[in-house]
Amino acid sequence: MSHDAVMPTEAGPVTLAWSETAKAEVAEALARYPVKRSAVLPVLWIAQREWGWLPTAALRLVAESVGLPESEVFGIATFYTMFNMKPVGRHHLQVCMTLSCSLMGADRLFKHLEMKLGVGHGGTTADGRFTLRRVECLAACGGGPCMQVGFDYHENLDEKKVDALLEKLR
Amino acid sequence: MSRGPLLFKDIDTPGLAAIDTYRKGGGYETLAATLNKTSADQVIEVVKASGLRGRGGAGFPTGMKWSFVPKASPKPRYIVCNADESEPGTFKDRELMEKNPHLLIEGMILAGYAIGSSLGYIYLRGEFEYIQRIVDKAIGEARAAGLLGDNVAGTGYKFQLHTHLGAGAYICGEETALLSSLEGYRGQPRLKPPFPAVEGLYACPTVVNNTETLMCVPHIIKNGAAWHRQWGTEKSAGTKVFSVSGPVKRPGNYEVPLGYSMKQLIEQDCGGMVEGLKVKAVIPGGSSVPLLPAADLDTPLDYESMNAKGTFLGSGGVIVIDDQTCIVDALWNVTRFYEHESCGKCTPCREGTYWMAEVFERLENGHGKATDIELLASVADNILGKSFCALGDAAAMPVQGALKHFLDEFEYHVTHKSCRVNRRRAEVAEVRA
Amino acid sequence: MSGLVRVTVDGRTVEVPAGTLVTDAARAAEVHVPIFCSHQKLPPLGACRICVVEVGTPKLGPDRKPVIGPDGNPEIAWMPKVQTGCTTTVSDGMHVRTRTEVATAARKGVMEFLLVNHPLDCPVCDEGGECQLQDLAFAFGHDYSRMDEAKRTFDSEDLGPIVKKEANRCIVCMRCVRYCDEVMGENALTAHQRGVFTEISSFDRQPLACEQCGNCVEVCPVGALTALPYRFKARPWDLRQHITICEWCPNGCSVRLGVRGMEILRARGTEFRGVNQEYLCVRGRFGHDWVNAPDRLTAPLVKTGAALEPATRDVAVAWAAARLRDIAATHGPEAIAFLGGEKLNLEEMYLMQKLARGVLGTPHVDARTRQGDAVPAAALRRATGAGRPPLTFDALTDAQEVLVLFDDLQGEAPFAQAAIVRGFRQRGLHVTVAHARRVKLARPRFKGDWLAVKPGAELPLVLELTRAALALGIPDGVPAEVRSALEALKPSLGAERAEAETGVAQATIAAAARRMREAGRKALLFGRGVLEHPHASALVQAIENLAWSLGAISAERSDVMAFGAHHDSAGAIEMGLAPDLLPGGLAAGDAAARAAYEKPFGRLPQSPGLAARDILAAAAAGKVRALWIASDDLLASAPDRALVEQALERCELVIVNELFLTRTAARAHVVFPVAAFAEKDGSTLNSEGRLQRSNRALSPRPGSRPDWEVFQEVARALGADWRYRTAEDVFREIARVVPGFNGLSYATLLPNGGWLSSAPAAANVAPVAPAPAADDAAAKTTHWLLAGGTLFADGSLSQRSDTLAKLAGSPRARLSPAEASRLGLAAGDRVELTGPAGAITLPLELDDSVPAGAVFVPYAGAELNRLGAATGAGLRVGLRRAGQPAQPGAAAAVER
Repeated sequence: MSHDAVMPTEAGPVTLAWSETAKAEVAEALARYPVKRSAVLPVLWIAQREWGWLPTAALRLVAESVGLPESEVFGIATFYTMFNMKPVGRHHLQVCMTLSCSLMGADRLFKHLEMKLGVGHGGTTADGRFTLRRVECLAACGGGPCMQVGFDYHENLDEKKVDALLEKLR
Repeated sequence: MSRGPLLFKDIDTPGLAAIDTYRKGGGYETLAATLNKTSADQVIEVVKASGLRGRGGAGFPTGMKWSFVPKASPKPRYIVCNADESEPGTFKDRELMEKNPHLLIEGMILAGYAIGSSLGYIYLRGEFEYIQRIVDKAIGEARAAGLLGDNVAGTGYKFQLHTHLGAGAYICGEETALLSSLEGYRGQPRLKPPFPAVEGLYACPTVVNNTETLMCVPHIIKNGAAWHRQWGTEKSAGTKVFSVSGPVKRPGNYEVPLGYSMKQLIEQDCGGMVEGLKVKAVIPGGSSVPLLPAADLDTPLDYESMNAKGTFLGSGGVIVIDDQTCIVDALWNVTRFYEHESCGKCTPCREGTYWMAEVFERLENGHGKATDIELLASVADNILGKSFCALGDAAAMPVQGALKHFLDEFEYHVTHKSCRVNRRRAEVAEVRA
Repeated sequence: MSGLVRVTVDGRTVEVPAGTLVTDAARAAEVHVPIFCSHQKLPPLGACRICVVEVGTPKLGPDRKPVIGPDGNPEIAWMPKVQTGCTTTVSDGMHVRTRTEVATAARKGVMEFLLVNHPLDCPVCDEGGECQLQDLAFAFGHDYSRMDEAKRTFDSEDLGPIVKKEANRCIVCMRCVRYCDEVMGENALTAHQRGVFTEISSFDRQPLACEQCGNCVEVCPVGALTALPYRFKARPWDLRQHITICEWCPNGCSVRLGVRGMEILRARGTEFRGVNQEYLCVRGRFGHDWVNAPDRLTAPLVKTGAALEPATRDVAVAWAAARLRDIAATHGPEAIAFLGGEKLNLEEMYLMQKLARGVLGTPHVDARTRQGDAVPAAALRRATGAGRPPLTFDALTDAQEVLVLFDDLQGEAPFAQAAIVRGFRQRGLHVTVAHARRVKLARPRFKGDWLAVKPGAELPLVLELTRAALALGIPDGVPAEVRSALEALKPSLGAERAEAETGVAQATIAAAARRMREAGRKALLFGRGVLEHPHASALVQAIENLAWSLGAISAERSDVMAFGAHHDSAGAIEMGLAPDLLPGGLAAGDAAARAAYEKPFGRLPQSPGLAARDILAAAAAGKVRALWIASDDLLASAPDRALVEQALERCELVIVNELFLTRTAARAHVVFPVAAFAEKDGSTLNSEGRLQRSNRALSPRPGSRPDWEVFQEVARALGADWRYRTAEDVFREIARVVPGFNGLSYATLLPNGGWLSSAPAAANVAPVAPAPAADDAAAKTTHWLLAGGTLFADGSLSQRSDTLAKLAGSPRARLSPAEASRLGLAAGDRVELTGPAGAITLPLELDDSVPAGAVFVPYAGAELNRLGAATGAGLRVGLRRAGQPAQPGAAAAVER
C-alpha cells in the first residue's frame, strides 16, 4: 500500500525568520500556556500561515521558538494531517471520503475533480492553483458531500456546484 | 419554533453568538448566581444528581468524574473541553459552538469553579479553524465583560480560558491523547491509571469534558437536577443532540430526550429516506459502534437500550445506511478510516487496521477467499480488548457487528466475487470527463 | 513484612518489593513473559502489547476483606481484559496467568500482528540469530501467518556512517527514540508520520548529528537499526563472544566483544552486566578495530646499530637487561626511570613498579605523563576520599545535585554523562557545570546551571565555592580535626572575587554551593580539566577542601569521583605508578610502608622519586639515562614536546612497550610488541574504584605478549626470581601483599566486580598557595587555548580506529561564530596558533560553545604540545589566519 513518505525538503529556503507580526503572535501563543512546549501546535500553524507549508527551515524556527529539539518538532508536525510538509497550491481542496459523505456521493465528486483537474490524491495542478486531497470525516456529515477549501467548509456539493465553486477560486 | 428542549431551545436565535444577545436570553446569570454562593462541592452534587453523562461517546457520569479531582492536591487544576469532534457521523458540537459559544464559555467557567480550576482550554480539531475564530471572539467579549480573568463577575474567582487548535488527528479525541497533544507531544494516548482527574495536563488534576456536556451544565445548575431528569430515562437522564446523516430527506442535528425512538427520529424528524431507498442498517452512535439492522430501528436512543442490542449510544452520530449500499463496502470505508487515524502506538491497532483494510479491499474487488470472513472476525477479535486505547476497539467492533448481522453479504462477495448491490460504485462509474 | 508483596504467577508465589512490575515479578517467579517495548532503563510504555497476561486480585467482601473460596484460598476476581504486564504494578495477593487460553491467544494474536508488515528479511538481516522477534516468535507465536497481503514498505536509509535503518523491519517499539531522549539526552531520533506509516528517522532525514553511540542499534529488538561498521560481516553464531572491560575511558564499561578467528568484528553491551549494562559510547562500541590493524607490531625491535631492526625475543630481552644493568652499575639505579603505564592492567602496573623499585632499585616511576604540574598521587586519593564507600554510577544517577568541575564528560567519561542525563530525565537530578565552554550538560535543555568560568580562573572559582560553602557553616559528620582545619581555611581564601575575575557572579556561586550542601544525595566530579591543568596540584588540594566543605566527603563516605586520562588511571594510583606512593596508597617516603614491601620486593628505594615532568627534565639534563616507556606515545601525550625530544635525544637507553611503531617507539632502542587489552587477562580499577576482571577475548597478535610478561622476562634476565605463570598469579600476590586487596581473587570479581578495603585516606585540608595573577596585557592579543577530550578523538590510539578517525575528521581549531567574525575568519580557513615553543596550523570550525577570547582544540591529533607547556593558569596562544604577518604584541612565533 502506498503512502506519501515524508522526504527531505529539496526546494526550501535555507533559513527563515519570523515577520514582526508573526513574532508577536508567537509570543502571544507562548503566553497562553504554563509550559512552553504546549505552544508547538499554535506556532506550527503560525509558520504554515506565513509560508503556506513547513519547509525544514520553518521546523527549525519553530523548534527554536518553543525550545524543543528539532527532531521532536519534525515528529510532531508529521503526526498531524493538516500540516503541509510539501508546498500546496493556492487552493487546498480537501474532500471528505468517510462513510456518511460517501453515502451521499463523495466518491463520484472526487472522481469528477480528479478528471477535471487532471491530478490525483495529493497532486497539485501545473498552474499551482489547486491541490486535491482525500480527507477523513470533517464533521459535516449532515451536509455531505463536503469539501474544505483551505479552512472554508463547502457542503451539499455536487458536480455542478463544485464546478461553479472552482470557477471562483483563482 | 424551537428545535429542541434544552440546548437547541434557542439555538437559532439570530446573533446568539454575540454576548449581548446571549445575555438577553438569560446568559451568564447562572454564573453570577452560583459563584461564591453555591459551593464547589454543591455544584458537583447537583451535576451528579442530574444524571448528566458524558456526551462525547463514553457516557461516563459527569459529576462523578468531577468528584475524582483530589480536593487536597496542591497542584493547579485544569478544565479542558474536548471539541475535537471527529467521530464519523457526528457534527453536533460544531453547530453548538458555531451558534452558541457563550453557553460553552459559561459551562466551562462553572465546571472550572466546581473543580477548583483557574485555567481552561478548548481543544478544537484543526478543521474547526473558523469555529476557533467564533469562540475566540466570544472569549474576548466575555473577558471585556469581566466574566473571564482575575475577577470573574466581580466574585474574586480567577479563570482564564484559551482555545487550542489541533491539526487533523481523530485520536486526539481520546482524552489522554488530547492532553498529550495539548502538552505539545505527538497526540498519542497515555497509560491510565493515573487517570486525568488525578494526573492529567502537566501531571496535574484535569477534567476533560465534551462540548455538549459542558453546555448542559449552566442549565442544570440554574434549574436543578430534578429538572434535568424530566427528560430521558433513569440511567440516561436528559436530552442529547443526535447528528443524523446518510440518504434521509432531512439530515442534520436533532435534540431529543434520551430514550426517544430511533425509528421516530429517522422516519419522522428526518422525513425518512430519500426517494427510492429503504433503510438497511443504522449505526446509532458514530462509526465506532456496531451497526443495527433495520429490524432494530425502533430501539430507544439511550445508553442501556443500545447496550442491550449489542451496540452503544456513543456520540449519537446516527448514520443511516440504505438498501442499495453494500455493507462490505461501507465497512471497508469505516476500516480505512481507522487505519488512517490509528496513532501507531500499539501493535494490534496499527497492524490490525491495516490488515483488515487490505482484506476488505480484496473482498470488495472480487478477490475474496472463503477464509477471509473468519480471518476478519479473528483479526477483529485479536484487536478487541488488546489495544492500548479504545480506538482499537472502535475499529474492531463495527466489523464484528457487520459480520453478525450481514454475514450473508460477506459470503456473497466470496461466492460471487461481487457486491449484491453497490450504489456507490454505480454512481462513480457514471462520472465522465 | 512491609515493603514486600506476594504475587502468584502461573501458580508460583513469590515475594517482591512493592512497586514491582508484573513482568519483573514474573521473572522472579521464573516465568518468561516476553517484552519488546519495555526496557529496564525506560519508564513503562505498554505499546507493543506482547506482554499481555491475565491479572486478578482477591475479591473483597463488604468488610473489605478477601472472600475465601471453598478451597480455602482467596477468590480471585479476574480483570475482564488482559493487561500488559510491563505497566501493571503488583499488589498484595495478585494472581497472574500467562498460559491460559485467553492469555495465550492474546499473545499469539499480538505476535501475528507484529509479523503482519515485518518483512521476511532474516536471510539478509544482521539481527538474525540474535533477534528478539525471531526468538519470541518461535517461543510464543504461531508457526504460520495468515497475512497474505502486500506489506507496507519504506525506503531504507543510512542515518550517517554508523546507523543503518531498514524501516520495513521496525515494530515501532520506540526504544531507540526513548533511549536517545532519556539516557543519551541527544533527541537525535524521532518517530514521524503515524499509524502503520510511522517511521523512525532523524530530523528531516539528515545524517544523525549525535554521539554516534549506537545504543539505538543495541536496544532495537529487531534488525530495523543495525550498525554499518558490522554490516554483513558475520552471523552471531560465527562469533565467540567475550565480556571484557573497555580500554577507552575510566568509566570501565563492560563490552561484549564478538570475535571470529583472530579478528574483533564488533562490540556490544552486556544487557544486564557491568556498570553500563546495554550502554556503550561510540568508542566502546565502534572503537576497537585498531586491534585488528595490520601495522600492529609483531616482532621486538632493537637498535644495536643505526636503526631499529627486528630481533628475537630472547635477544631483545637480553640486550635490554644488559643495558639496564650497565647503566645502573655505572650511574646508579636512579639513572633509570619508568614512565607511562596508565593503560595497563593492574597486574602489569604492579610488576612494572616492582621491576623499577624492587629489581632495579629506582624510585622514579610515574604513569601520569600528561600532567604538566605533578599532582602527588596521595593528594588525589585524599581529594576523592579514597578508602570510604565510594560514589557509584547508580548513586550518580540517583543524586539530587551534581557538580562537575571543568570537565566535558561527553569526551572524558561518556557513561558518567549518560548517568547524569538519565538522572535528570527520570529522577529529578539537577546538574551544575563549571566550564569555560558551554559543554553538553551545560546546555539549556538539561535545565542545569552553567558556571561560565573564565579560562584560567578555575582555581579562584573553586576557592569561591569553598568560601560560599563554609559561609553555610561546617557540614555535619565532619571529624573534629577536619572541622578545625576548615575553620582555619577561611582566611586563606583571599578577598571575595568579583565576577570579572572568575566569570561567575557571587550569587550564582553561593546558590551552587547551597544546592550541594542541602542535597541529601550529591556528587562532585572532576577529571583531566583539573589533573592536566598548569595549577593541578593546587586545584586538587582546593578540591579536597571544597569536597569537605560541601559535605561531599565525610567520615562515612565519599561522593567525589575523579576521571583520569585512561581506563586504568585509578589503577595506576593504587598500584603505585606514582613517585610518592607505593601500591595500596602507602607513602613511598614512609619507612614502615617500605618495610612492608621489602619482603615481596627484595629491596626498595629509600625515598620518593621524581614525577614525570621532572623525570623528563632529568633525562634532558643527562641525569636520567634510561627510560622505560610503557604504552605511551610520549611525544604526543606529554605537555612539553620539546622536553620529550631532548630527553629522548639525550637518553642512552629508551625501552618501549608498544602496540604500534609510534613516533616515540621509533626513537627507542628496544621496542617490545605488546598485547592489546582484548588479548590478555587482568583486572582494572574504574573511576568508581570498582575492581573488574578484564578477560582475554582473542589470542595476542603473533609476536606480541602482555606487558606483564615482558616485565617478567627482563626482570628474570636481571636475576630476579619471578615465576608468575599467569596474570592471576600476579593478582594473588597483590591480594596477599597490597593493603586493600586482601581477600580478593579473580573469582570474587565476577560478575560485577569487587571493592577494595583500603583504609580511609586521612584528610589534609590545607590552605592553597595563591595563584599567580593573570597576565592581562597578553589578553588583548592572545587567546586562551582550551583543550579537552572529545568522543571521536581521544588520544593517539583513537586515530588508529578507522571508525573513530572517520568520525573525528581531521583536527580542527574551534572558535565561536562571533569570535571568528570579529577576527574576519570563516569556517574552513586555516589558522595558525603560536605558543612559546612553536606553532601549529589547523583548519577552523565554528562552535558556539567556545567563549570569546578562547580557542578550543581537542587534545588528540593536533599536536598541541608543539606549542609548549602552559605557564600561569593556562596557555595563551597567538591566533591569526595562516600566512598573515603576526600582530604586534602577540606571542613571538618560535621556529618549530
